[in-house]
Amino acid sequence: MSANIQSVSTPRSGENSWWYLLKIVTGVLLVVLLGIHLVVNHFIGQHGLLTYADIVAYYQNPIIPIMEICFLAVVVLHSLTGLRGILLDLKPSRTILQVIDTFMIIVGVAAVTYGTWLILTIKSRG
Amino acid sequence: MDTQHNRPSPSRFWNWFNPVGRQTSGWAFMLQRVTALGLTFYLFLHLIILGQLAYGPQGYDSFIKLVSSPIFIASELLVVAAAFLHGLNGIRIILTTFGISVTRQKQLFYALMVLALIIITVFGIRMFTV
Repeated sequence: MSANIQSVSTPRSGENSWWYLLKIVTGVLLVVLLGIHLVVNHFIGQHGLLTYADIVAYYQNPIIPIMEICFLAVVVLHSLTGLRGILLDLKPSRTILQVIDTFMIIVGVAAVTYGTWLILTIKSRG
Repeated sequence: MDTQHNRPSPSRFWNWFNPVGRQTSGWAFMLQRVTALGLTFYLFLHLIILGQLAYGPQGYDSFIKLVSSPIFIASELLVVAAAFLHGLNGIRIILTTFGISVTRQKQLFYALMVLALIIITVFGIRMFTV
């Protein structure tokens, strides 16, 4: 890899610098949050978090639902801003881009709302 | 960076996944893109599947029993592998975006991929032995 200007990732055409920065910030947060999520799910106790009872017990710690809701919001934001960046490489028209943006907002809000409801439901079962 | 494969153009869509004639940077680009698409698909699948938790222990535990076969564990390990490959390669992209280690990207990429393989191996051993 040579050290020319093309060797560094930059915002794409049609990608606001703030959205690009958001993708980077959520990416850094995800390395930490996803790392915790995977280690907890596979390395806690004898089997990791495997059964319904294990998961309900884990969510009784008040910090866990907060962390999981933050994780959910961050991972949804990162995946949708990342997917939007990939779709921008296909050079969509302005109209198509508006459709994509609307779809992303609906999917993002729905996923975070549904996930938050599920997290709070699991916590309430303890 | 190998701009041959990642130049923005609809007609070059399949080149994102074409392994022929790539340099290290091209492989890094393809790895990031393939894992991004795979992980995004898995994220929403994962959220839908976790909805089983709302149906109580019968629904969830019987589902877990169903997906405890080696083929499902191998698929899950593939997701874990994609997460670490994407995350650690992402760290390289972030560092170079801010001008850090731009001239040593190849070395950084290989070092992070070795680290990813070590972590994936540890997860694999754990997942197949408990």
